[in-house]
Amino acid sequence: MSKQINVALIGNPNTGKTSVFNALTGLNQKVGNYPGITVEKKQGLCKLPRGVKAHIIDLPGTYSLNASSLDENVVIELLLNKNDKDFPDVAVVVSDVENLKRNLLLFTQIKDLEIPTILVINMSDRMRKKGILLDIPLLEKELNTKIALVSTRKREGIDNLKQLIADYRKLSTEPCLKASEIDSVYFDSLKEAFPNQLLYKLWLVITQDVNFGKTDRNEIETINSFKTKSKADLKRLQQKETIKRYQFINNTLKKGQTVDLASATDLRIKLDRILTHKVWGYLIFGVILLTIFQAIYDWAQVPMDLIDRLFVFLSEWTKSALPSGVFTSLLAEGIIPGLGGIVIFIPQIAFLFLFISLLEESGYMSRVVFLMDRIMRRFGLSGKSVVPLISGTACAIPAIMATRNIESWKERLITILVTPFTTCSARLPVYLIIIELVIPEGRFLGLGYQPLTLMLLYIIGFATALVSAWMLDRILKIKKKTFFVVEMPNYKLPLFKNVAITVIEKTKAFVFGAGKIILAISIILWFLASYGPGDDFNNAAEIVSAQSSSKDFSSEELREEIASYKLEHSYIGIAGHAIEPAIRPLGYDWKIGIAIVSSFAAREVFVGTLATIYSVGSGDQETIKSRMAGEVNPILGGPLFNFASGISLLLFYAFAMQCASTLAIVKKETNTWKWPMLQLFIMSGFAYVVALVAYQLLI
Amino acid sequence: MNTIIQNILVFSALAYAIWYLLRKFGILPKRKKASSKACGGDDGCGCH
Repeated sequence: MSKQINVALIGNPNTGKTSVFNALTGLNQKVGNYPGITVEKKQGLCKLPRGVKAHIIDLPGTYSLNASSLDENVVIELLLNKNDKDFPDVAVVVSDVENLKRNLLLFTQIKDLEIPTILVINMSDRMRKKGILLDIPLLEKELNTKIALVSTRKREGIDNLKQLIADYRKLSTEPCLKASEIDSVYFDSLKEAFPNQLLYKLWLVITQDVNFGKTDRNEIETINSFKTKSKADLKRLQQKETIKRYQFINNTLKKGQTVDLASATDLRIKLDRILTHKVWGYLIFGVILLTIFQAIYDWAQVPMDLIDRLFVFLSEWTKSALPSGVFTSLLAEGIIPGLGGIVIFIPQIAFLFLFISLLEESGYMSRVVFLMDRIMRRFGLSGKSVVPLISGTACAIPAIMATRNIESWKERLITILVTPFTTCSARLPVYLIIIELVIPEGRFLGLGYQPLTLMLLYIIGFATALVSAWMLDRILKIKKKTFFVVEMPNYKLPLFKNVAITVIEKTKAFVFGAGKIILAISIILWFLASYGPGDDFNNAAEIVSAQSSSKDFSSEELREEIASYKLEHSYIGIAGHAIEPAIRPLGYDWKIGIAIVSSFAAREVFVGTLATIYSVGSGDQETIKSRMAGEVNPILGGPLFNFASGISLLLFYAFAMQCASTLAIVKKETNTWKWPMLQLFIMSGFAYVVALVAYQLLI
Repeated sequence: MNTIIQNILVFSALAYAIWYLLRKFGILPKRKKASSKACGGDDGCGCH
């Protein structure tokens, strides 16, 4: 049996750590969460020389082992806990060739934990362009380790890295800085109290409030022979440690690195000047957004139509191939149309993630964050709020968790409360289908009305988040003090592999995450639509036949009349009619009402719900779009999905708080039900009023 | 026979769907996974 070793990939943010992870593992990776917390855990397998297998963990990016966030805590807790099944046999610290000095701080800290550590110097292909020269043998000697020069872009150095990992036993575990150099008196007494423990680990336990082995901070404080210092003194010692480390790093780089600025050819400054310009910056960002939305519509049309037809075919085939009965009906009229309602949006969602990933990979997204900070400040938000607000376009849940790095509680709370206004990917299916039904296909200055409407909805969501933040800043009486630091990574040509993996992972997470809920809700809805109480439902065929005896119905028309009558008297029909008075002023019928109620679990359920309800009620095999387009307003006549009701629905979905998982995460992050309940009632109440006003004005 | 089997399948699917949603939205407690070697439970590693 071949041996498997644990490898931890560690590094500062933006050093290309994930690219190295992708290069080592390819598609042999899985994403999960660390136990008990919601920090993403990426792990994968890699084959090394001599038949050795490596289990690789891509740890969250961190600047040092002085943890200040949950993500950073994950790194330090793993490195301090030898009993952890993921404890690394070897640590691979990924650094960026242009930021070696800063990146080496983390390297020296990890090396001092006496874990075999390899230094990866990534983006080595940029060395010549930046006028950087490295004396690798000398650096290896000074740092007492092995160095792998890697360029993930050019696929260089990965085999060498694999070889170094396989030979990890040859690596020295000598520390870079002896802990006693920080403060000899203090560390001597620490060593006396805990003779069998590694001093630097003890130091981290004392200063970071984390545990390792069976030793924790409280235990250390109860040892009589050892007097720990006050918090202020510990801080001073930490600063001293950092200064000592940088002295060591400076000395090392002085010998092993030369930077010739005269030979550096840098486009970065020129590009930054334009892309973060107070006028051009916003204009360019606007043009990029327009292009993205136009492309989402133009490119996704063909695959969407194909998927739509495929599900119609599947539904028909199920009916013809399986013996008739209730389970066949459940499959053909419940599950397949319900799932079709979500699968159809895969192309558009994949394109959206493709563009977001390209913007992130190229380094442009950090410039957007910088640009937006100027606006954020005016609305009482932190520059750091931009990240949750932008990542909220994918999903509000990770976005709300991303607020953890906002130091000011007031700014963090405001960001949590307003993030659900940004247009998440779950709203996308609702927007796309309604826009296609009610907005004409014409163009304005080469741009389609439909993509423009979609972009407008994104802007409305973002603007509402800002205005709400401004109001909350004035309403909430909490003191605040904050600052904003953002790292501007270099511009890079996006790596195809990284982009592809991001698109696949994100789309998969959306489809499978939403798919299970939609499948469950489709089954329940089909049941509620296919069964009903009393004689009206059970004797529907006789009642309709008797009522229509005077009318000259064909057998097909009669069958549809019976199906429609049964649906109206089914459980779902009864529930729908009960809520109809509340939604009729908004231009909706009871079927839309049911879809809205069920989508309070998750927004994306809306389309699947309508697909299921219409499928049960309809005898024809039609696509979801044609079924919805064919629905008639029972009171006013004409299409149910017209301009007024469509705009009303779009605005309702733009503002309503319809995501049980988001409410749960807000409760978890704020530790009270007060804020999620306020979100639910205020956002949904606001959505109702806006949708009502829109419909009444447009009708 | 066919009708009975189809009914059993439908009601089983319905029961599973209801159970799944109740669990998903926290109305029913989720079953805890067996603790792994470390960090999955109190195994004396000191990190809990």
